Amino acid sequence: MDCVSCITPTRQDRPHTFFHHERAACPTCRETHEGRVVLRGESPVRLLLCPSCGPSEEILPGTAKDYVDRFLARGEVPEGFEGEIEFKETTSTCPGCLSLLPAKVVIREGRVYFKKNCAACGPSEALVSEDARYYVRAYAFARAGTEPLKFATKVEHGCPTDCGTCNDHEQHTCLPIIEVTDHCNLECPICIVDNQYSNHIDLDTFTRMIDTLVVNEGQCESVALSGGEPTSHPQILDLVRIASRPEIGRVVVITNGIRLGKDRAFAKALKESGAYVGLQLDGFTADTHEKIRGRDLVKEKEAALATLRELQIPTQIIFVATRGVNDDQIGKVVELFLSEDHFLSLNFQPAAYTGHGGGLFGHDPLDRLTIPGVVRRVDEQTGGKLKVEDFFPLPCSHPQCVSLTYLLRLEDGTFLPFSRFVDFTKHGSLLRSSATLPATPEMEQTLQDVLYDVYARQDEIERGPEILAALKRTLKVMFPDRPMTQKESLLIGEQQAKSIFLHHYMDRHDFDLERLRKCCHHYPQTDGRIMPACGFNMFHRGAAKGPGTVTPSWGKKPWVKENGTTRLSIVGS
Amino acid sequence: MTKLCEGHIALVTGGSKGLGRAIAVTLAREGAHVGFNWTKSEAEAKETLAEIEAHGVRGFSFRTSVLDKQGLAAAVKEMEAAVGTVDVLVNNAGVSDVVPLALMDEEDWDRVMDTNVKGTFLATQAVLRGMVKLRRGRILNIGSLAGVKMMQAPVHYCTAKAAIKGFTEALAKEIGRYGITVNNLAPGVLESGVSVNLPKGRLEDYLRHTALGRLGTFQEVAEMAAFLVSDRASYVNGATILVDGAV
Repeated sequence: MDCVSCITPTRQDRPHTFFHHERAACPTCRETHEGRVVLRGESPVRLLLCPSCGPSEEILPGTAKDYVDRFLARGEVPEGFEGEIEFKETTSTCPGCLSLLPAKVVIREGRVYFKKNCAACGPSEALVSEDARYYVRAYAFARAGTEPLKFATKVEHGCPTDCGTCNDHEQHTCLPIIEVTDHCNLECPICIVDNQYSNHIDLDTFTRMIDTLVVNEGQCESVALSGGEPTSHPQILDLVRIASRPEIGRVVVITNGIRLGKDRAFAKALKESGAYVGLQLDGFTADTHEKIRGRDLVKEKEAALATLRELQIPTQIIFVATRGVNDDQIGKVVELFLSEDHFLSLNFQPAAYTGHGGGLFGHDPLDRLTIPGVVRRVDEQTGGKLKVEDFFPLPCSHPQCVSLTYLLRLEDGTFLPFSRFVDFTKHGSLLRSSATLPATPEMEQTLQDVLYDVYARQDEIERGPEILAALKRTLKVMFPDRPMTQKESLLIGEQQAKSIFLHHYMDRHDFDLERLRKCCHHYPQTDGRIMPACGFNMFHRGAAKGPGTVTPSWGKKPWVKENGTTRLSIVGS
Repeated sequence: MTKLCEGHIALVTGGSKGLGRAIAVTLAREGAHVGFNWTKSEAEAKETLAEIEAHGVRGFSFRTSVLDKQGLAAAVKEMEAAVGTVDVLVNNAGVSDVVPLALMDEEDWDRVMDTNVKGTFLATQAVLRGMVKLRRGRILNIGSLAGVKMMQAPVHYCTAKAAIKGFTEALAKEIGRYGITVNNLAPGVLESGVSVNLPKGRLEDYLRHTALGRLGTFQEVAEMAAFLVSDRASYVNGATILVDGAV
């Protein structure tokens, strides 16, 4: 078999590590704009794009390390301090009119808030993290992003107007999410999209989108097919077939599972297609489903789970966590995830209040679930099987976007978080935006390093000899003495470890332009753009506050209305 | 000038006699606490231990084979409890016998490969964990000119010594990042040791092709060994160093 990694061009790292946004004056016209601070070699550098004068850059005093240390120190709260600390500034949105406006990032009572003041709508506050220490320290995980082989748009007006992705974007597309239909068989009160019930993507358009992805990215570890409900697309299996190319590692169908549970022939065909399933599973009670998904889905979810188990379809569980609705069922979903081999990853998404349903979903922006809150519940509800300390910010995206833990499969079939035996400050390359461990040369070196570390300290580490045995197995099977295709290596990697991700999509309250800058979950569009997910949801979809939200003048929806009917706009049209 | 090996703790395999004894005693002279293992002659081991301790350092004598994993582990543990983590290993234990391949029994082959190669592997594994933990160490394998150049020597012996070169290079690459160096010290023909049974004609042939025109001594090899395991050889890694008078 051909080794895919040998024939595909390699993406290059960005020439710097994007660190954060801060406002600064244009050196020519002295107008203040939001700039990027990046770490370039040993120097901190501020990059600015002035709409009038164009780009400029300024080398900041001191070394990059000094800059980071000073930055982190700003977020240290003295013991016993009870007031409010201003940690930094960023750009957010007014929850009323969605205008972009400066936000003060403040720390109060151990939590992080955005404080904004819109000239039209007045002041507002939003909780962005339930754990200020986690929030501040997450910045230490910043790492250089990677460039796509080809950018989809040019830098003209700056972020987020130019989305995307333009060559000022700080990360390539780790996970493309293609919305293949705007039909759905549910009307979820928490829905973050805005289904028009008008289109199933046609095969030619979809093929062009996949072609664009491959041209821009070279290889994609995963491509997710979403919607609407993608299994309502009459040609969903054809779409899976089209996406199943050597350059694409896995095709994941994101589904509510209703069709899987009742259409055995379809489920078998999906299994045979080699697709993975991303199963939406937000809880286990009728009440939970009614509040989040609009009706009691207990039987449908049980049927879907039974089918996935029986057919051993590789599955990612997606759990949208909402305070006061299903946050008491977080432990139960973790236990389910650990109990079955075909569950590869568990993705917690603290609810983002955006979209047709989500934009109107009842919530308190000052008392909502954020990543640390979900992690704490995982710890509490699993009896410490997984602990708060097991989770780390993912440096691939903006460190505030995703937290994760990898779980190593031990020989007895149980799982142990990598954090129990890996120092992630030393082995940061283990923290990747990937559901499984990839068989890359970098990973081989990292696993060998980890193995030697454990080897030297095996008496001091919980289950040391068992970890060593598992690492030995992992190295042997992931790096055999023969070439492997990307798909083959993914399959083997999946058998070695599971992962739990927490991904907090943004809404009008906690939108942070700085996070959008390094977003790596993108929606490819029919017109060739590849849109960072939260930018698309906030400014282009037209449902940031529910249906009919007015989009900014530069916001461009993925569909067009002509002669009273709606159709998807087509690549190149 | 401080001694070369002051503060180090060394284990020399097959250290009771011959080249092993010369190395063990030289390391002791240079300030290292030295342990060694042996299997045959208790009297020779006693002599070696006494020579080591005469240099004012701690000496350790272990009656165990390099093929005895438990025995090696116990030796390393005892040294660690008494003086600290072993940070120098000299894989010296080796055997040979003159047998043409045509008449070589499987047992002959296994004996030479086991002691020379597997023994090196097992002894290295016995000390490696401590060195990784310390994030420093010196592993010196005693190879042979016969593992580097074509020589009229037994095939199994040459195979084993060539294997030691491969072992050295691969391990140097694998554990260099822990501050551990791995080198291969390859002597030519020495005045005593495995060369004593060489036929006169072959010995004369060797001398004709050696720039110095003489055989080497254990002490000459041991002096190089002491340097290679010292802190002063910090950038010598994965190397095969010939001590052969230039053949």
